[in-house]
Amino acid sequence: MLVEVDDIHVRYGDLVALRGISLKVEESEVVCIIGPNGAGKSTTLAAIAGGVTPHAGTIRVGGQSILGQRPEQVARLGLSLVPEGRHIFGTLTVEENLRIGGYIQRDRAAAKADFDRLLELFPRLAERLRFPAGRLSGGEQQMLAVARAVMTRPRLLLVDEPSLGLAPKIIDQIYEILLDLRQRVKLTLLINEQSSTRILKHADRLYVLRGGRMQLEGRAADLQDGEAIRHAYFGFDEGQAARMETTA
Amino acid sequence: MIQLLQNLIDAISLGSIYALVALGIGLLFGILRLINFAHGDFITIGSYALIVPSADVTARLLIGAWAWPVMIPTICLIVVIVALLTDALAFRPLRRASSPTLMIASFAVSYIIQHGVLMAYGSRPKAVDLWSGANTQVLIGDLRVPMLQLITLAVTLVLMLAISLFLKKTSYGVQMRAAAEDFRMAQYLGVRGNVVIGIAFAISGILAAAVSLLYTTQSGSLSYTMGVPLALFAFVAVVVGGMGSLVGAVVGGFTIGFIVTMLQAYLPPDLRAFRDAFAFAFVILVLLVRPAGLVPARSTFERV
Amino acid sequence: MRRSFARHQTPFLLIAVLGLIALASALSDNDSVRVTLTEMFIRVTVVIGLYVFIGNSGIISFGQIGFMCIGAYAAAWATADPSFKQIMLSGLPAFLQDNQYPFLVAMAGSLVLPAAVALCLGAAIMRLSGTAASIATFAFLIIVNSVYSNWDSVTAGVSSIIGIPTVAGPWTTYIFAVLAVLAAYLFQISRFGLMLRATRDDEVAARASAVKILRMRLAAFVLSAAIVGAGGGLYAQFLGILTVDPFYLDLSFITIAMLVVGGMFSLTGAVTGVVVVTAIVELLRLLERGVPAGSITFALPQGSQEIGLGIVMALILIFRPSGLSKGREFAPFPAKPAEVASSPARLPLAGEPERATR
Repeated sequence: MLVEVDDIHVRYGDLVALRGISLKVEESEVVCIIGPNGAGKSTTLAAIAGGVTPHAGTIRVGGQSILGQRPEQVARLGLSLVPEGRHIFGTLTVEENLRIGGYIQRDRAAAKADFDRLLELFPRLAERLRFPAGRLSGGEQQMLAVARAVMTRPRLLLVDEPSLGLAPKIIDQIYEILLDLRQRVKLTLLINEQSSTRILKHADRLYVLRGGRMQLEGRAADLQDGEAIRHAYFGFDEGQAARMETTA
Repeated sequence: MIQLLQNLIDAISLGSIYALVALGIGLLFGILRLINFAHGDFITIGSYALIVPSADVTARLLIGAWAWPVMIPTICLIVVIVALLTDALAFRPLRRASSPTLMIASFAVSYIIQHGVLMAYGSRPKAVDLWSGANTQVLIGDLRVPMLQLITLAVTLVLMLAISLFLKKTSYGVQMRAAAEDFRMAQYLGVRGNVVIGIAFAISGILAAAVSLLYTTQSGSLSYTMGVPLALFAFVAVVVGGMGSLVGAVVGGFTIGFIVTMLQAYLPPDLRAFRDAFAFAFVILVLLVRPAGLVPARSTFERV
Repeated sequence: MRRSFARHQTPFLLIAVLGLIALASALSDNDSVRVTLTEMFIRVTVVIGLYVFIGNSGIISFGQIGFMCIGAYAAAWATADPSFKQIMLSGLPAFLQDNQYPFLVAMAGSLVLPAAVALCLGAAIMRLSGTAASIATFAFLIIVNSVYSNWDSVTAGVSSIIGIPTVAGPWTTYIFAVLAVLAAYLFQISRFGLMLRATRDDEVAARASAVKILRMRLAAFVLSAAIVGAGGGLYAQFLGILTVDPFYLDLSFITIAMLVVGGMFSLTGAVTGVVVVTAIVELLRLLERGVPAGSITFALPQGSQEIGLGIVMALILIFRPSGLSKGREFAPFPAKPAEVASSPARLPLAGEPERATR
């Protein structure tokens, strides 16, 4: 098992973000977390990547607990985060953005090789190497964010809402790239999304998060009709739905 | 005309000193969002490290008496160590603290350092003779330019070039710039936060050491609060230049140097004592027109 | 009546506690105890003044002591002996030079003049971001020091103004401390105070409603300057001699330390901080003088007082950033929680991430 999250609780001061989340990701899987805004999806990824520390529960990578480790340490274990909103370094050039990911490698030659290979995969970025990254379009920035994360040679890529603010065609491209990378460099993917339609096609397993709690988990194949997902997502239980019908 | 040129050279020389101090402060502000009130006191420590610890009014040179190829790196090392210590002891525990908390903490560090110096060296200002041989004058055309001012300008340019190259060309420099823009994201990509911050403090320390040597040579005296006016002008320079922007800090430093020198030269004699008040008033005027500073950072750190 | 008390118990409790201390000082024969306590009440006034601005707006001002200086000199100009003023302070306007005014007039001056200066200064700097504004206040402190040190004809420059009638004793300063508590309390439960506090934690939200915040910050700044100035006026009329020296970095640090140790964001914190830090400083002073233990005297080296205070401050910032009062008001009497007029906004503690990206 690559990553195992066990009953973590996360608080921002008095605000409780996660109330006992458990999930696991196996090698080579594509796992997706969906849920409405504010459900805690970003917090979950941030917790795994070391950006926030749960005050209860454990997170294990390859059997070892990584709780309390700093993000830069978690990155060195092979977990890389592509955060919501991209967070590219706007004042640095595209090339510098990419190189940052490579500094984790001791082996400079290997980092250079990665750099060249990524430029082949992302020709749009190759064309704009010297641009300040802030001048790229939304889709290009997302590609840069993904490429940059891949430079750290991750085993697991944590992608937070890759489709946010992007046109459908671009989103398709991004997903194509993610899945292509998964094949090429044996990447495992853990993706957050608000909407399930696109991801259901590609994911192996699905988690539904709402209100800081896991509402549903299952194999994507079993959840194709979307009924269970809708219930978990919107929070109606059978009883509630029935009561609403009788009072209507 | 000659007088005006003379004043301009004075302004540039003073501006260089302020620019160096402002750069040290701006660097830390960019990465940590910390206004380091103790920076002026780093300068003080650099200067006091030159002399034998005692309360005498006439100081005896200790490290200051060594040959300059040994003395300069030693002073740099001492100040860098102090800077790294303050980071480790005071600022590292406050990594996730708010800006105001960090500011107060640095104010506390400043207070502690000042009183430490006071305890070791006494409160009376001391006269010190460091490289007074450099106080010759060079004739350029009709201008008499103090050698020291030329040296100051040269040192400033060299240091700025070095830092600029470091930030642009080395891997740590790129990491620092990334961390300055988005610290958390840089961490997610494996940039070691504490290392980057340590480097920032170290560079800040080197800048402070350089200023302490230049300033002490120029003024010939030490006092335990000598760093305060320097730091103050540098803070103001950073604000005027644009917070979060290193170029802004340098521009701000030269601007302040210019304003202060021109006021000193052209204010009527009975108002000259109030030079600093006028400089401050002028700065307020600038800020009323451009609250974000003259060269606002392209990525402002207090992002909306 | 009961409910009203429960709701507003904090200021009454603080006044009572301070009253007990004042009583203790009145009963004590020891002159130095009276002096220490008088100074403490003056500091209570000053630190409450600091709190009115810093606690409500969230902006650290390093320069409020500049207002204390202005207030002190205003009082001195009013009450010092005309024969002294005519020789030493010939730059003063005639109505000050030739007359000697009573205590209350002096206090009025020490309230109004700093407030006027604060109005002008604040109008300019309240538009700046929190950090920039803080730097501007620091600059203000240095400038006041510079101006007052050099304006010989009006302030006697680096020499002293002497012969100020020393009418401010423990009870007088206690009364002003009480007034300061009431003024601060009334401000913080007023519309201005509540709105200001609600936007304190989020500068982005504050800037989105720019104009109103400006006025509220300015109001807090001016009130703060007035209270701190009054503290200065008391100081001048307690000491009898006035120079510019005390109104500089050390006093700024001590007063900020008092506020931080007690807790920046509550009135209780301001008062508690003064009492606690005064106690700590007195203890360190005692240790510096030497404590006989058997045949040896154990004494801390000179200057340990200051370093000790600095370390205490740093420790509080690291381990208990909301101070001893934890940002809450002292309100032990039962009252419905929503009723007690304490800080409404939850404060982000120094250990928390401020924004998700940091």
